[in-house]
Amino acid sequence: MSDINIKRISYLAKLKLPSEKEEFYSNSLKDIIKWVDNLKKVDTSKTEPLHNVTEKTVSIRNDEVSKSNSVDDVLSNAPERAQNFFKVPKVVE
Amino acid sequence: MKNSISQIKKSLIEKKISVGELYDEYLAKAKSGNNNSFNLVIDRENNISSINDSQNRYDNGNPLPLDGIPLGIKDLFCTKGIRTTASSKILSNFIPNYESFVTQQLLNDGSIFIGKNNCDEFAMGSSNETSYFGPVINPWKNKNSQKDNLVPGGSSGGSAASVSEGSCVASMGTDTGGSIRQPASLCGIVGLKPTFGSCSRWGIVAFASSLDQAGPLTNCVEDAAYILNSINKHDFNDSTSSNHQREDYLIDINNSLEKKIKIGIPSDYLEDVSDDILNQIDNTKKALSKHGIEFVDVEFKTTEYALSTYYILAPAEASSNLARYDGVRYGVREDGESLDDIYLNSRTKGFGDEVTRRILIGAYVLSAGYYDAYYRQAQKVRRLIKNDFQRILNEVDFILTPTTPNEAFKIGDKLDPISMYKNDIYTVPTSLAGLPGISIPSGLSKNGLPLGVQFIGNYFEEKTLLQLAALAEKELSFNE
Repeated sequence: MSDINIKRISYLAKLKLPSEKEEFYSNSLKDIIKWVDNLKKVDTSKTEPLHNVTEKTVSIRNDEVSKSNSVDDVLSNAPERAQNFFKVPKVVE
Repeated sequence: MKNSISQIKKSLIEKKISVGELYDEYLAKAKSGNNNSFNLVIDRENNISSINDSQNRYDNGNPLPLDGIPLGIKDLFCTKGIRTTASSKILSNFIPNYESFVTQQLLNDGSIFIGKNNCDEFAMGSSNETSYFGPVINPWKNKNSQKDNLVPGGSSGGSAASVSEGSCVASMGTDTGGSIRQPASLCGIVGLKPTFGSCSRWGIVAFASSLDQAGPLTNCVEDAAYILNSINKHDFNDSTSSNHQREDYLIDINNSLEKKIKIGIPSDYLEDVSDDILNQIDNTKKALSKHGIEFVDVEFKTTEYALSTYYILAPAEASSNLARYDGVRYGVREDGESLDDIYLNSRTKGFGDEVTRRILIGAYVLSAGYYDAYYRQAQKVRRLIKNDFQRILNEVDFILTPTTPNEAFKIGDKLDPISMYKNDIYTVPTSLAGLPGISIPSGLSKNGLPLGVQFIGNYFEEKTLLQLAALAEKELSFNE
């Protein structure tokens, strides 16, 4: 097992761990990764990965237009909105 | 014994009680409950039109299958106009403007929702201690230390506790690695996880999409059949929803099984287990043997890899599913100067420790350089686990296992995540294989706490699984 770079992983997950918690999560992750490491000894050279357990064909429906959510519905939970948009701080200068 | 759905319906039909009185009775229990089993309870006024409509149908002599039945709903199902939090801070202000498929079916069949049940945050936990709204307390007490508050199991801990304390007739839960069956077992009730693909995931806050499945927590097996009849339907909005023909699960539930049944007991599951747990298996075996059911030993080859596989795949899917919580479109936003700061602050402050831990595990096993070694390898081992089950289900009709390795433990007792994860050792393999499993109460431990056994059936064979469970329930007479 390689070392766990907790800063990189939390960056990937868009989390900003407080510095006093970095060690806590880092140790916890190390323990768990060590615990799941036993999978490496399983011979899967002839095994395909399993994505959907029932492996049934997904059912296809007709592409018909239906009315579902209105703009107001969709925006009703927005922390901040401006007219028909979600509002966030300026992204481009 | 608590009243079953059919007994309650009989009282409603015979006008021994009105729908409103029934609702008030359960509402009073839900409001006075000390077990923190609800995140939100719905007052009579807010359900008045449903109550009146239901009463009218009884008065006109044409009640719906679940008419007037007060249900609890795990706070993971989106309920239109009713706050849905997944027991997380980040969704603590979220009011969905649509109804989940499953809860819509229950409404269509006349049931009335009494409230939203507390659960582990985003359904991640086995003890209901990770909820932002505080732990749920198991209504049962250890007879040798009455003052201790015990966990109800998780993640559908509020659902299990509320059915057990009698504040709803039944509750809808979800099961990813045992989250219906394990709390049902620890609270002395019935919990059914249907085959993956039976009940639509549409409108359920997603945890691990290849594993999540909705199912009922009930006082008896027959009630589980009532609920399953309502929710087990094909839905185009969930691409993994199976479109096979469903059966009526209720109609023959008390009939004896048509053919001679053989049940396998996995010997590898019973190594190092306590006498309390062994007794459950022995009692169940004895109770069913008189019905000519044959028991044989079977042995899995993949059990030791199940938890590892699960704790790679479930966090990987969770880290991807929980990427949507960004403080922009819904949920709680924390201030930040830039958009990136809003993402970082909202997520960091919005998620609790266990959810953060699982997102980090997921991000790690999916990251460049580790993807093949962990995520892809786990998906391959998952196929071996599925094949292992299929091998055994070619030899036997059902599998009998304990539901949990121990009785309910004290709140705050298991601080180490790995020892917590091990609670799901008997339920996780079934989830990975996507098979249906039902936990029924089978007896009490030396400390007077409920324990359960799990029956596992083949894909989409819930009908015979429920018949077998109903027979075992009758023979074990836990409720009497």
